[in-house]
Amino acid sequence: MKRLAAVAALLGLAAVTACSGSTGDKPAAGGSGSGGGLYTTIDGLKPGLDVNGPINPWNPKGNAFLGFNAMRIAWSKNHLTDPNQFYPGIAASWEIAPDNSSITLHLHPGNKWSDGKPVTAEDVKFSIALAYTQGSTAFAIDPGAAGAASEVEVVDEKTVKITQDMDNPSVTFVRGVMDSYIVPQHVWGSVLPADFWDKLKAARGEGAEAEKAREEITALSEKVLAFAPPKDVSAGPFTLERMNPSEALLVKNKNFYNAANVGPDQVKMLNYTGNEQIWNYLIAGKLDNAPFTAVPADVMKRITTTQGNGVVKGYSPVSLGMAFNQSKKPYDNVHVRRGLAYLINRDEVTKIASPEGGTPAVTTTGIHQKPAAEWLGADLAALEPYKLDVAKAEEEFKEAGLKKEGGKWTLPDGTPWKFTVNVPAPFSDWISGAKAVTSQLTAAGIDAEVVTTADYPLYLKELAEGKYDVGFWLIALGPAPYNIYQRLYGVSNGWSILGGKLKHAEPGKNGNWMGGPETIEVDGAKVNPGELTAKLNSASGDEQKKIIGQLAKAANQDLPVVQLWDYVNTQFVNTNRFTGFPENDSDLLRQPSGVWIQLGMVKKKQ
Amino acid sequence: MTMFARRLAGHLARGLVMVLVVTTVSFFVIRSVPGDPMAARYEKLVEQGMSPTAAQRAVEVLYGFAPTGSLWQQYVDYMSGLLRLDLGQSLMVPGVGVSTVLFSAAKWTVLPVLAGTLLSFLIGVVMGVYAAIRRSGRLGDVLAISGSLLHGVPQYVLALLLGAVFTTLIPILPTSGTADIMFEPGFNAGYIGSLIEYATLPVLTYALASYGGWILAMKSSVVTVLGDDFILAAELRGIKRGIVFRYVARNAILPLFTILALSLGMLFGGAIFIERIFNYPGLGLMLIDGINNRDYALMGGAFLLITVAIVVANIVADLFYSVIDPRVRSGEGAR
Repeated sequence: MKRLAAVAALLGLAAVTACSGSTGDKPAAGGSGSGGGLYTTIDGLKPGLDVNGPINPWNPKGNAFLGFNAMRIAWSKNHLTDPNQFYPGIAASWEIAPDNSSITLHLHPGNKWSDGKPVTAEDVKFSIALAYTQGSTAFAIDPGAAGAASEVEVVDEKTVKITQDMDNPSVTFVRGVMDSYIVPQHVWGSVLPADFWDKLKAARGEGAEAEKAREEITALSEKVLAFAPPKDVSAGPFTLERMNPSEALLVKNKNFYNAANVGPDQVKMLNYTGNEQIWNYLIAGKLDNAPFTAVPADVMKRITTTQGNGVVKGYSPVSLGMAFNQSKKPYDNVHVRRGLAYLINRDEVTKIASPEGGTPAVTTTGIHQKPAAEWLGADLAALEPYKLDVAKAEEEFKEAGLKKEGGKWTLPDGTPWKFTVNVPAPFSDWISGAKAVTSQLTAAGIDAEVVTTADYPLYLKELAEGKYDVGFWLIALGPAPYNIYQRLYGVSNGWSILGGKLKHAEPGKNGNWMGGPETIEVDGAKVNPGELTAKLNSASGDEQKKIIGQLAKAANQDLPVVQLWDYVNTQFVNTNRFTGFPENDSDLLRQPSGVWIQLGMVKKKQ
Repeated sequence: MTMFARRLAGHLARGLVMVLVVTTVSFFVIRSVPGDPMAARYEKLVEQGMSPTAAQRAVEVLYGFAPTGSLWQQYVDYMSGLLRLDLGQSLMVPGVGVSTVLFSAAKWTVLPVLAGTLLSFLIGVVMGVYAAIRRSGRLGDVLAISGSLLHGVPQYVLALLLGAVFTTLIPILPTSGTADIMFEPGFNAGYIGSLIEYATLPVLTYALASYGGWILAMKSSVVTVLGDDFILAAELRGIKRGIVFRYVARNAILPLFTILALSLGMLFGGAIFIERIFNYPGLGLMLIDGINNRDYALMGGAFLLITVAIVVANIVADLFYSVIDPRVRSGEGAR
């Protein structure tokens, strides 16, 4: 009886869950797949699968896996300096006007949705309408928004022309267009009102009617975000077959334009909620690919020991900086910041904290060292490198009025100087880096400590509230120069666009947690770095390059952050089942592996 | 039946009060949790290459789903929604009701917890009887010591040990998940086998985590019952040992039903750690996600569900106790 009860309990578990999570009734091939085989990976963009999520690319938990069953117009290349280079997605080719005033898209002639209906220009236009409700960069309804489209024209069944509003152009207009998700109008058609485009036209005007139209369009955003198509109709290489809480199964879309070159027949997405699960999957040899994941050295060793596992590395436009709250003393003094920079051995810090995923920053420019070399050329070498130099550090501290008493540095008024750096607890590499920094500072006579915060949301809240003297901060988020310098001279340092005009909040107020003043001294002259950054949104060519040089020098001399390490994009691949993965420094490494697959790169191992 | 109905009504009333109190307290506690999920979401988007402007707009759209109004107004809205069994919408999965999210996750926690608890209860009770009867022998000592050892080991340590053994040293069980997606859901051998395979480690952890307590409690209870006069009388009348054994077991097991109910609640709490370790996406893992994303509605719903589960378990255990204990059923105990 007891054994029967135990078995009954387990059978009950099976029976109750047996029919849950299915999104279709088509039987899977079973086993390890057939023909091209089964490809196993994770979705690096959305940790945590959710069977309740709609098949909706705009929904943060949507079961639309980018590159697999969710498509963009085109896939951006990981170019060092140019954000406007792409691989084909929904569009097969395109023409960009020389002055960036328009882009004309030509869709793949033979591409069809997974239900057999053709992908048309009307689908693209409709999807752009959906994008307007979400307020994307190129499709913004705010008057005067930079880089916004002024017109979307269906030229023919496979051609769409999108024109930029040249009253306030942006060099990222094309990128904004290409990053748009494309969904089938015949599935999503009920989401938008029939008069949407008339409403949009009205929204671009002035006055009460325009305001009302904008409100109506904005109100559609929640409806779009929540929309749940009854089944997956995809223009990508796969469609979602079914899910359970821990795995999702996608099967090949035979109507995809490049189906003949799509290697796998099926894709399995695995659930994860943290890096540890990814490590375990990799160690077990379960994943054919995993995107960038922070990995300690000892774990990396175990991962690479697993048969078939390999690591592909490339450029990642992300750097880590140690940011100062300049509204607090003594960090309001540039000499203190410079002195600290001279005391930090970035090579040692990176070796300890991020040996696999980072490379020591050459110096502080606000830009990852690779694009910095492109943008700045020989001028990069002319910047102060802030190599470890205790003597120079002491000179800077003394210039700031600090005193060294009994081997310890004190503030000008003689009170002890307590250096506290804050980091979020879940970020193991940041913690290691912070500890390495404080260890070096302590050795130099500074009373330094690391304080951790429970999680990232709390860390960011307290950071924004100005509670921290020093905290770690991601910078150099490119490739667009405007995006890069927004991290140093944007909202976090007081500059924001209000009513179409650039405003600066006083140090320590209205979100200016970095506490920077409106103007700083660079080479003896006053510079407004926020203004320069704002200009980058529309500048191009030599003007762009000149501004970048000015900002790099500003960051280097004023040091709102000390750039510690520049991240390396570390991708994991396993060649036991599939080959043809991108090689080191490929410009596809930042795209999901679904993009590699749809471009025909990944093949079943023979 | 009248007595039973009265007891049931009393329990339900007390349970309802408990649920209301916990709901109110948890509502305000949840809203006091600090952190800025909008900023975290924004950071994530710009790290992925989205422009700052687009990321800001995307975040604003997403958090349009968040509750609005004063804290008191939110509370009133929440409670009125509760009366309609409407727990609000999840912030993590916009457009999806919290009830939907909860119940889709609940079965992946409830059933393993019940299976593990039942397994540990049955084995623990039987072993406890043996440990008591043979307490002066070697087998009794071994059983008692094993119970003590397991009772003192935290759940998450057990989970880590089992995970290390059966997924690394002897890799015969899956490292995470609920079932192999390659098997189509349905009442078929492949899918059911997969469910059992993936549930083995969590269930085994729940079972081992509770086993020690059961064996010790049952042993203690049996030792007490063995000294009762009716057992001595039965032995004197020459009743078979097996029948005496059943008399002992049935009487000794009575106090354990209350402990059973309480242990279910404790296991639900422990599910957070076990599901995290095994990446078994049930209520525990969902709650972690909710906390990380400051999904207030989801957090509140999860706490409510756990509270209701504990209250219901207690009620069921107590009513069941009255069924199996004639003294309670007849009301004689009250006198």
